[in-house]
Amino acid sequence: MQNGIHVEHLSKHFKVHEREAGMGGAWRSLFRRQFRTVTAVDEISFHIEPGEIVGFLGPNGAGKTTTMKMLSGLLHPTSGELLVGGYKPFQQKAAFKKRITLVMGQKSQLIWDIPAMETFLVNQAIYEIPDAQFKETVGELIDLLELEPLLKKPVRNLSLGERMKCELAASLLHRPEIIFLDEPTIGLDVNMQETVRRFIKAYNERFNATVLLTSHYMADVTALCKRVIIINHGKILFDGDLAALVQNLAPYKVAKLTLSAPVEREHLQTYGEILHVEYPEVSVKLPRADVSGASAKILAELPVQDFTVEDPPMEDVIGLAFAGESA
Amino acid sequence: MRPFYYLTLLLLLFKLSISEEMEYRSNFFANILNTLSSVLFALLTLQVFFLQTDEIGGWTFEQVLVLLGVFNALDGVVEMVLRPNIGRIVQHIRKGTFDLILMKPVDSQFYLSFRHIVFWPITDVLLGFGLIGYAAVSMGIQVTVLNVALFLLMFGMGVLTLYAIWMILMTMSFWFVKVENLTFLFSSLFETARFPVQVYKGALRLLLTFVFPVAVLTTFPAAAFTGALTWRDALISLLVTAVLVTVARLFWKTALRYYTSASS
Repeated sequence: MQNGIHVEHLSKHFKVHEREAGMGGAWRSLFRRQFRTVTAVDEISFHIEPGEIVGFLGPNGAGKTTTMKMLSGLLHPTSGELLVGGYKPFQQKAAFKKRITLVMGQKSQLIWDIPAMETFLVNQAIYEIPDAQFKETVGELIDLLELEPLLKKPVRNLSLGERMKCELAASLLHRPEIIFLDEPTIGLDVNMQETVRRFIKAYNERFNATVLLTSHYMADVTALCKRVIIINHGKILFDGDLAALVQNLAPYKVAKLTLSAPVEREHLQTYGEILHVEYPEVSVKLPRADVSGASAKILAELPVQDFTVEDPPMEDVIGLAFAGESA
Repeated sequence: MRPFYYLTLLLLLFKLSISEEMEYRSNFFANILNTLSSVLFALLTLQVFFLQTDEIGGWTFEQVLVLLGVFNALDGVVEMVLRPNIGRIVQHIRKGTFDLILMKPVDSQFYLSFRHIVFWPITDVLLGFGLIGYAAVSMGIQVTVLNVALFLLMFGMGVLTLYAIWMILMTMSFWFVKVENLTFLFSSLFETARFPVQVYKGALRLLLTFVFPVAVLTTFPAAAFTGALTWRDALISLLVTAVLVTVARLFWKTALRYYTSASS
């Protein structure tokens, strides 16, 4: 298992100090501390091949960040086996750190008062990137991210999106082969999100880099990831193809029709659960197993002007995954 | 440890800090004024002392001047390197950017100690050395190669000791959110280094030699320059420095282990 990410029965427990509210609780906790063990990550296993882009999804507090931190060597696992690019992350070897990178949408490594290029130079020294390679990589990143006009401005004068572009460049100067992206598009406008996505895709293709991505924007996931891992309460709920996820979790499709004449709601209901009616637009859930039969029936029996069948929105599917698990 | 790598990096961080600082040129003049007034005030205090007596703790006026020069130079080092960095660990931990530093293939202690260097207090260092030179001339002491070499060695130990103490304080910020209070404590203890350790008696002197070693900081380097350093003192200096630097390093490593097992 030279490259890629290999995780087996990985767990992380935290000891949390608990105390009752108010003065009494504060006083008691001075003398007898109460600890509770919280399982943030519970025996998860998965394997990511080199060059794969995998979406890592879950609600807040599901264990995403804890897992990412263990993968990048920032947290010591409680138990389990972990190999990233052939290294044990928590040993924090310099050779390991030179092969990975962590980009966090909300945290910046850029030096605030001076142009981003200065941060690049510091990283060049820290990562010991030879001059020729540095020039080449910077050139490529400037091309891919259209950085040219940004490099001479102090970082504090850049917009959020421009800063994110520089952030990505600074994190990739050493050409890491494994990239952890923690909500890289958070707070960006739609165009900038698109730019970042295109860049991640391009970088992945050019360097065959392995990418693990968390995001709350489903557009990021659908645009980049063929495969997703869904985690909640520290456990993996789903690991597989995005397409399979939709089929497994959402056993229905959504038929959208435009009617040419009004139809009674009671009558529409006989075709499937109604999601939305606003004459002439209607959307109805059709069972996945019988989409064609139900569609044919609708087309034959209703005054339909326009008709489409779609998968339910990704947000709804993920929502179903979380709901299904807690039920 | 790779000295060349870290030396290059230090130089780069220094250049970086200068380009960060360039914006605030007025700081330069303010700092010179500040330094001059504090040196003048210290000299005045000394004069008052020496109106009553010919020596303090067995040190003549000129010898104490050398000591004051050492003190000033060290104070400059504190202002240049140590004080600008100490508050930032807490900020890094709170903002989560500490993770980004830990991800880099660089010693995190090194990076956090030297990331921010303020250039202007270099005037304190230069004035300190000036004072030493002036005292040397007015004492008419023979400046020998051995004296200067010994002085540089002892001064180096002083700087290292200072760094180690400071680092221990800085590391405490993993557990305490406000280290600023500790730096006040440090500053008042550091003030005792204005006088040779021989001024203090008994237990206090032991304390100031081994626990908060102001003797290592100023007394020994000054003694080395004036030719009054004993081999015993030199040995104490090396020993205290070695112990403190080791303790500071181990403490840092412990704090890191605490961080990587407990933070979420």
